[in-house]
Amino acid sequence: MFRTAEIVKASKLPPEGVAMSRHIDYVYFLPILFVTLIGTFHMHFDLLAGDWDFWLDWKDRQYWVVITPFVAIMFCAATQYYLWVNYRQPFGATLCIVALLTGKWITIYFAWHWWSNYAINFVMPATLIPSALFLDIVLLLTRNFVVTGVVGAMGFALLFYPANWVIFAHTHQPLVADGVLLSLADYMGFTYVRTGTPEYIRIIEVGSLRTFGGHTVWISAFFSAFLSILTYFIWWYMGKGFCTAWFAVTGAKGRVTKKSDIMAMGEEGFAEGIKVAGGGRS
Amino acid sequence: MNVKNLVKLCVIGFYGVVTLALTLVLETPPAAAHGERSQEPFLRMRTAQWYDTKWEPKKVAVNEMATMSGRIHVAEDWPRAVSKPVRTFINVGSPSSVFTRLSSKVNGQPMFVSGPLEFGRDYEYVIQMRARLPGHHHIHPMLAVKEAGPVAGPGGWMDITGNYSNFTNPVKLLTGETVDTETVGLGTGLFWHFIWGALAIFWIGFFAVRPMFLIRARVLASQGDALLLDPVDRKVAAGLLVLTLVLVAVGYYTAEAQYPYTIPIQASEVKIKPLPVKPNPMVVEVLHAEYDVPGRALRMTLRVTNSGEKAVRIGEFTTAGIRFLNKVGVANNLSPEYPSELVALEGLILDNESPINPGATRDIKVESKDALWEVQRLMDMIDDPEQRFGGLLMFWDETGDRHVNSISGPVIPVFTKLAVS
Repeated sequence: MFRTAEIVKASKLPPEGVAMSRHIDYVYFLPILFVTLIGTFHMHFDLLAGDWDFWLDWKDRQYWVVITPFVAIMFCAATQYYLWVNYRQPFGATLCIVALLTGKWITIYFAWHWWSNYAINFVMPATLIPSALFLDIVLLLTRNFVVTGVVGAMGFALLFYPANWVIFAHTHQPLVADGVLLSLADYMGFTYVRTGTPEYIRIIEVGSLRTFGGHTVWISAFFSAFLSILTYFIWWYMGKGFCTAWFAVTGAKGRVTKKSDIMAMGEEGFAEGIKVAGGGRS
Repeated sequence: MNVKNLVKLCVIGFYGVVTLALTLVLETPPAAAHGERSQEPFLRMRTAQWYDTKWEPKKVAVNEMATMSGRIHVAEDWPRAVSKPVRTFINVGSPSSVFTRLSSKVNGQPMFVSGPLEFGRDYEYVIQMRARLPGHHHIHPMLAVKEAGPVAGPGGWMDITGNYSNFTNPVKLLTGETVDTETVGLGTGLFWHFIWGALAIFWIGFFAVRPMFLIRARVLASQGDALLLDPVDRKVAAGLLVLTLVLVAVGYYTAEAQYPYTIPIQASEVKIKPLPVKPNPMVVEVLHAEYDVPGRALRMTLRVTNSGEKAVRIGEFTTAGIRFLNKVGVANNLSPEYPSELVALEGLILDNESPINPGATRDIKVESKDALWEVQRLMDMIDDPEQRFGGLLMFWDETGDRHVNSISGPVIPVFTKLAVS
């Protein structure tokens, strides 16, 4: 079914090397890469878009729809660079979002529900997995990061709202409390007391997007799409900056040059006497 | 590692074990309050001046209703260091949502969203709550002021008995359906998170079952990516792309069909009219005020003019939710339900306790004296950048009618008993 045997053969690793590489896969993938992404991406996302994801009564048609995708695509783009350019692995965005949601669900259950006693449905996170799958699949099918940045990032943002509407639509049902019209989300934000989060903290639905014929959500989604395209490219190159290894190599005549070939250590030149003078990241 | 270092490490480890053991053995009571004492005195004394706070009843079972009510006077002498109350929200200070809040009315108007308050005016709040989490809870009214933060009112203890598993919080929607806020939408949310999570794990797992990193990196570096881009991957990706788009569409249109009547999150502002100004015949001028640090007393010299038709007596000085009373105040205004830790009985001392007759103007020395100044950390006002006090002075006439005056002024600290004037 797969080309695994051919790939292994092409790697020219001895059998014990192949076995060791799989051990490295396991040790590196879950305990290091995945857990690191849980910690870093979760913190990054909560600092920049956290409240929109924490509370039902923040999930509005403007800021939630704009901010969440373009904050989320940052790590996705950088991780895609790392996994695609170095390994041709097309699951960087999905891995990031799964890590984010893993961190989120741990927090939701233990911090928000078990420790702070909020109902789980009140702090239910949004999902970005459909967006991430779209981004990864566009990268795999096109093998082109420019097309991925334009088409994939746009789809990443545009899919966010419809994919989450099925989870949160019920919270937009109307009710009347004390003669005041509220959405169920507003009411739940009111009824579950948040001592340190008074109502005015909410950043929701201010601005003039209503002038677009009431299609606020889709205007927001397209605006987020453009922001996501820009953000994708910036963070793709952030990924390049942080994930490119290089070596300072001293040549035969003593001239030091940069080698960014990650296979450099196994090349003939080193065996013939070229020595590594130092190393680091570009 | 030499023997000396080893001994040092053992000693440190021993201390650690002893500390842990003592922590587990000794009683470690839970945190009892919300840090209100750590708020600066100028914030507590000269912004929201709380009075008539009530918690009724103080003991309820899960699902039963309780009310927290009272009044706020928005101080005229609002500190320069605190943002003006142009956007405020009367909140509940509680350890998480131990009660759900069903209704909050300020001067009879619902306060679901924030709004401005006016200086020098009074507001009466009534908050209806349903008991949710069993326990012994410290509950405050709280005024949150945008860009200034929360100002905690007096805290009272409330007990909730029963079992949380019995708690429900039904609310009727405009569609006629009644839902429980504890569980509404939970199953749907979990279902979709599970579906998408499964697809994501499938996608990652599809590549993780094969060599992932080292082997692919070697092949990519030496031969390019032609071998790595497996046709099977592209077929599965195309299928998953279609499935993703179909699932998003199905979910979206299912929700649209299931919930045809929806409204946006509401983002309004409430404009609450202050209570009507009650005719107040009393005029109070602060001539001098000093805080006696060792004596733990605020001494004020007040010029009081009674322009009314009835003689009045001073009965209470209240600031930051702490009440200093004399016999007049106790007789007229002390509820046994008010937290005793916030009351200084006989804490209000006057140099002349005789009634202030109609038309009379009198200079009165008023001393509010109790260890509460220190216990509640109000004595920290001597560390404030602007050393002023504020509070409410209450008068009663012989018919029991009350007049409330907000007073404030600069405070001179007195650091030794010898310096008392």
